[in-house]
Amino acid sequence: MSAVLTPPASAATPPSGPLHHRIAWHLRHNPKRELWLAWWTVVVFYNLFFPVFFIVAQVQPPPQPTWDLATQVHWFHERQLGIPIGFGIIFAIGGMTAINNALIAYSMRRMSVSRAFAYSYLIIYSLSAIPGLYLLCIALIVGTLRPERDPEAVGWLYDFAFLSFDGTMGVFLIGSLIWMLAILLDKNRVFPKWFGYLNLCNALTEVVVAPCWIFRRGVLAWNGQIAWWLDMVVFGVYQITFIVMLFQMIRREDFGTGPLPDLPRKPKVDRSDVEAAA
Amino acid sequence: MSEVGETDAEGRGSPRAALRRVDGEVILLWTLPVAVTLWVACFFLFPGFNPPMSPTMPAEQVAAFYRDPAHLPEIRYSMIVFNWFGVCLVPILTLIVLQIRRMAHRTPIFSYAMLGCVAGAPTLFLVANVCWLLAAFRPERSPELTQLLNDFGWITFTILVPFLIGQSVILAVAIYFDDQPRPVFNRWVAHFNLLVAAALVPAAFVGVALTGPLAWDGFLSFWLKNVAIAVWIVVMGVVLGQAVYRERAEYRQQGEELVTA
Amino acid sequence: MSEVGEARKRVRFVPGQPDMWAFVFFETLVFTGYFGFYLFYRARSPELFLQAQAQLDLRIGVFNTLVLLLSSWSVARCVQSSRAGAYRPALKDAFLTAFFGAVFMVSKVLEWATQIHLGNGFASNDFFTYYYFLTGIHFVHLLIGFVVLGVVIYQLRSPARRSQELIETCATYWHTVDFLWVLIFALLYVVR
Repeated sequence: MSAVLTPPASAATPPSGPLHHRIAWHLRHNPKRELWLAWWTVVVFYNLFFPVFFIVAQVQPPPQPTWDLATQVHWFHERQLGIPIGFGIIFAIGGMTAINNALIAYSMRRMSVSRAFAYSYLIIYSLSAIPGLYLLCIALIVGTLRPERDPEAVGWLYDFAFLSFDGTMGVFLIGSLIWMLAILLDKNRVFPKWFGYLNLCNALTEVVVAPCWIFRRGVLAWNGQIAWWLDMVVFGVYQITFIVMLFQMIRREDFGTGPLPDLPRKPKVDRSDVEAAA
Repeated sequence: MSEVGETDAEGRGSPRAALRRVDGEVILLWTLPVAVTLWVACFFLFPGFNPPMSPTMPAEQVAAFYRDPAHLPEIRYSMIVFNWFGVCLVPILTLIVLQIRRMAHRTPIFSYAMLGCVAGAPTLFLVANVCWLLAAFRPERSPELTQLLNDFGWITFTILVPFLIGQSVILAVAIYFDDQPRPVFNRWVAHFNLLVAAALVPAAFVGVALTGPLAWDGFLSFWLKNVAIAVWIVVMGVVLGQAVYRERAEYRQQGEELVTA
Repeated sequence: MSEVGEARKRVRFVPGQPDMWAFVFFETLVFTGYFGFYLFYRARSPELFLQAQAQLDLRIGVFNTLVLLLSSWSVARCVQSSRAGAYRPALKDAFLTAFFGAVFMVSKVLEWATQIHLGNGFASNDFFTYYYFLTGIHFVHLLIGFVVLGVVIYQLRSPARRSQELIETCATYWHTVDFLWVLIFALLYVVR
């Protein structure tokens, strides 16, 4: 059983002043500090994740499945330091994904639907990180480890890594559908219905990526315009949207069990938000 | 009917509130010393750990290592036992999750996040375990393939830290946010967990070099990481045991108050 | 403002939830992307595409289009009936829509089987990759459409439910499935 945290009786106002003072005050007194900490963790994680994959390790956009072994070996050679260092960062911060999943699971717990949705989502996404992210990072690291390795072995690691990335989308497919179903059934109005439908769009995009297991060239290969580029656009829109949606949810949160109140429409948002938080 | 750990508006003192079911937790707790004994025994049995295999070994030497008739049974048996008991850490981590639920938080986010981490490290460990067992299964395999399997196993074993770092940081933050007169865990446990998390970070960079402190047999990636994990298991085991026993004592006390009331 | 009041206000501007229209818009954008790639690669190798296209039977395409257009008509009738409070005819129309959907589904599967029999598989050539891809992803939308029709039927059955907004939302989705098919039909079968 958890102990009760009784909020202070008076409407506490954050002090004005330097940023670190205000952050320290919020960490100590803001009743929603757990939620805000989780939300900022999500933002920091994605701000590190994408630059690492695209710039440090340079494994995205993905190289071509049609390259011959010599070119593949050369690709690994170019990234001999970039991949271990970049993925070192990913493995060091990987635990943040647990907080990401926890926040989304919490959003489902706030809804009027069964807890089963939150727990299913949590489990699916917690385990998805292994085939969908960590194993492929390990494969790429092993690929850069020994420049003198047999090119056939390197080729196997190359295929394993990029097919793992695009080809294990079943997790995200089902996870998105669970969140969508929870949002559409929810009577607490935690999220607007269009966000539920956006989850469906995201789920459908994951379906579209599956042909990467069949094609080595063309629009449906693992680097294809449909299987990768269009998928990334939809995924990017989805990511940004859900981060904004979680932000709105936390602002509206009243720690009750009924419908989530809407944000006050008046421009004097600061005062009413603080009063609501009290 | 309130779910386990539900925030109860009347507090734990209310006799009508459903007490958390704690039967069996002590048994789960005491599986830890047994598991630790087995792990330590296997650790010293596996010839690859004593001393840790060098990443610079050429393929022929790696193949010879797995073909050595003295090594083969040691590799197989130690890894098989690791395979059986690798997940024994999970019940302990789950007990920690339940203790986090007892903390004075407004949301269950920390326990959810912790729960998300618990299965990860044993799973990755099992991948490494399978790689080593595969390498030992057909030692007459081509040396390059054996070396590939060995590399995969070692990198996975060393780099499985994200879940461990995650769970230490989450636990530390949960403890820092546990604002009650008698917190579930003392503050020093939080500092300790942050220290362990920091100690595990270098191991994430194991792929950078084949020699030196970051290599999988190096000081940072092997010794610091494994010692940190061992110390964490021992310290958290003791601290968790104290918390579990304290909780049971409080329930017994409440039960007596009920009877005398 | 009460839920009912809000719903009534919304009905005046747009049928069904505006959220569904946002979804329709987004899906249309994504499909436009797919069509764009199709047309681009078609322009790159017109003879290959023309040759492969000749293998498709235009009559089946027309039949499928007619079936879906009929299903759109029946779902529109369903919405009209339910708006007027005539729930039993509305329910019949919903089942009729599902029937047409099933006919389309069977016809599509038979068409795929025929093509595979002719030797035109998913990876046979670029045109057939697009053919199976576009009809496949549309098929998935159709399957979701059956779930959506299920929601309509569930709503119409009991007087305790019967949310007009929800029924109109579902109908909007079904019309989208039809609309997307017409575009696919035009691109794959007609444009030569």
